[in-house]
Amino acid sequence: MKEIIRITLGLTIACLIAGLIMGGVFTATERAKEHNEYLDIRATMTGMLGFNAAHPAPANLRFYSLYRYIIDDKGNKSIGYVLPLRKEKKISYALVIIGLDGKFKGIFDLNISKDKVSKVEERKTALNAVLKPPTIFTYADSTIIAKTGPKLLAYLLPGEFSGFKSIIKVMLALNSKFTITGLEIMEDEEDPGLGAEISQDYFKNQFDDKSLQRIKTLKVVKQPLPADYRKYLEKSKWEKGEFTKAEIDKIRNKYKDHNICALTGATITSKAMTRGIKGMVTKFAYRIRILDNALKQDKAPVAF
Amino acid sequence: MKLLKSYKLMSLAVVLCLVLVSGCKNKHSYISKAKFKGNHNIIITFAGEVDTAWARDAKNYGIYAKPDPDIQLKISKIIPGPDKKTVDLYFTDELNQNQPHILTVKNIRSNGKDIGSAVVEVKKLYFGFLFSILIGAFLIHNFVFTKYLGLCVFFGTSQKKTTAVGMGITFMLVMVASAMMSWAFYQFILKPFHLDFLQIVVFIGLVSLSVQAVDTVLRKINPALFKAFGVYLVLVIANCVILAVPLIIANNEYNAAESFMLSLGAGAGFLLALFLMSSVREKLELANVPVTYRGLPIAFIVAGLFALAFMGFSGMVIF
Amino acid sequence: MPATTKTNFQLVINGILKENPIFRLALSMCPAVGISTTMMNGLMLGIAVLFVQIFSSCTISLVKDYIHPRIRIPTYTLVIATWVTVIDLTLAALAPVAYKQMGIFIKLIVAFAIITMRLEVFACKNTLWPSFWDGVGMGGGFLFGMLTLGFVRELLGAGQLFGYDVLGFRPLLFFALPVAGFFCVGFLMAAFNYIEIVYNKRKKAVN
Repeated sequence: MKEIIRITLGLTIACLIAGLIMGGVFTATERAKEHNEYLDIRATMTGMLGFNAAHPAPANLRFYSLYRYIIDDKGNKSIGYVLPLRKEKKISYALVIIGLDGKFKGIFDLNISKDKVSKVEERKTALNAVLKPPTIFTYADSTIIAKTGPKLLAYLLPGEFSGFKSIIKVMLALNSKFTITGLEIMEDEEDPGLGAEISQDYFKNQFDDKSLQRIKTLKVVKQPLPADYRKYLEKSKWEKGEFTKAEIDKIRNKYKDHNICALTGATITSKAMTRGIKGMVTKFAYRIRILDNALKQDKAPVAF
Repeated sequence: MKLLKSYKLMSLAVVLCLVLVSGCKNKHSYISKAKFKGNHNIIITFAGEVDTAWARDAKNYGIYAKPDPDIQLKISKIIPGPDKKTVDLYFTDELNQNQPHILTVKNIRSNGKDIGSAVVEVKKLYFGFLFSILIGAFLIHNFVFTKYLGLCVFFGTSQKKTTAVGMGITFMLVMVASAMMSWAFYQFILKPFHLDFLQIVVFIGLVSLSVQAVDTVLRKINPALFKAFGVYLVLVIANCVILAVPLIIANNEYNAAESFMLSLGAGAGFLLALFLMSSVREKLELANVPVTYRGLPIAFIVAGLFALAFMGFSGMVIF
Repeated sequence: MPATTKTNFQLVINGILKENPIFRLALSMCPAVGISTTMMNGLMLGIAVLFVQIFSSCTISLVKDYIHPRIRIPTYTLVIATWVTVIDLTLAALAPVAYKQMGIFIKLIVAFAIITMRLEVFACKNTLWPSFWDGVGMGGGFLFGMLTLGFVRELLGAGQLFGYDVLGFRPLLFFALPVAGFFCVGFLMAAFNYIEIVYNKRKKAVN
């Protein structure tokens, strides 16, 4: 009996000490971890807008985040957007509710600050204060609007869809007319050399300059890339002065309506990418128009 | 052997229950069935006859994918069935069959009378999803040959068929037991209290507990069985797979049925891998292998060949 | 096994060559096969395992007198799990790029047989300083194994080393696939066997 007590006591003490150590390290490193993630995403976004060491981003570049929720009030569904409002030079966040028919339904002020709004849990708490049960809300997706002053630079859409092996996470950049201006693969688990080639320039840059109309009918073809197109796509390998501006424009116009050439040995991945991006862009274009109309109805002082 | 039989019966009973439970979701008093027929096509079967004129009007139908309630899908054409009980709906865009779709049928007219509206969920059979997790863990994402986990134990116990099968079965039992416990722990204790960083410790603790429990139970109930399998129990702890499965369950937020399927598939996959490997290795003992390759090196190369073969399963989609 | 009689230096060399965990003891194969696709991966994981091994060995050698024999294994597991969690959280905070690639394998270090075995065989019977060097040796052996594998696979599979183009083309894409890990480990093990046989022959011839 004594043995068992000694053993249990020993184990419990060891577990407690271990738990304390881990808890301590967790609290110490949590902030740094989140900060790193934040910087990483920021760097990707700025890169996608075309800024780098050679062309640094202008000082008035701002990112505004919209978070879309699906609100279910006893079977009646509506779409809710958590978005920033500008009131006397200060940014505050509000929930705008739009019915499924596109009509503006209401706007509620949220008690949440700018640095907390990117965290799922904080948004949940703020929304719980406004949407009381039995109303339930589910997070759908988010959009980031990049502006320099009054000019809309791009819509940045993080999104994910299923690929060949598992989920592929991407970030799309669209201009104000919903033409794709950039695509970054954030996460994927595809086979190296086969599906993982989606992150190579010669595949992902094919989506650039595709207009909304073209995306709706975009297909994947099992053809090799034409030699000049491939050279044009691999932007990072251009030597100085290899392409004149006229030549760049010529190639861009020649291929901007071309279908997507599949990756060798990775047709399923190529099709999944095209399907996923098609869905993301068409749904976003539809929704942002509805949001714009609804906001006009209310004349809410949105920050973007 | 008796213990094995009772385990088999138990798992069969569980599977049957799952089938029954999952089949109950599609019923509605006016609509007996609504399911995906193809990439662009849904077929509705009504409980009684419906007027053809009403059936042909696209305005009486509303359909959206569950995660996108604000996007109504466009119907391209409607073909009512000859028996007046079925209607084929064709859509312009491809349907994402992996998402459940909500179908609203308004103002159903049957024999001139308006009998009301109905809302049903159209989705692929849940049992199909569960089965695909099982087959996934068993073949497509086989933990030994495709995910390269559990190799130490794998190479250690695959020399003879009897050892291999013994290890495989013991592992399967402990796997299912500890995976279910880990799921329960994660859902009811770790998540609500934001103790996610204790995942590793808790899961491995539960594994040790399961091993200890199975050890004690086996000792008391069936000493003969314990003599045969007992020695493998200790090795189970050193197996990477036993920790990987709870981590996957936590990451993907599986529910109880899905966790059960995953752990069963993982255990069965390990058993399969061991069985295949031991069959080959027994034959290799009699072959003329060069001195430097004898023992482990040749075993690794054989495993590599198996892994190549299993690569053929990748990307397979059933249901 | 009683306390070791080897010098500290011999302990380290032992871990790297004679009792190399990957090629001779055949422990911890999972990462050897799965992650050694590039040298960078191998380096990162090798360093992580080195740290976990050193810290765990030292901790166990310090508390070995307080551990009840019946709960040895759970205690080792607890210590390893704690250190793994600490290193996991620290890496996520300080080196997010490397952390993304090593994801699930860091958490699996807990189940690495090599660390538990070493604690059982060595650390619970020796004092702090020899345990430290043994940890260095074993972890170093693991690191060495991962680097060798990574070298072969990256060079033959992608024509690169540490991400830098060395060959300018891809000799055999096959090696970049995880499957090739099995083959590479098998061949390298055979190579180590061969070296040992030749070494023993020479020793015999000299004597």
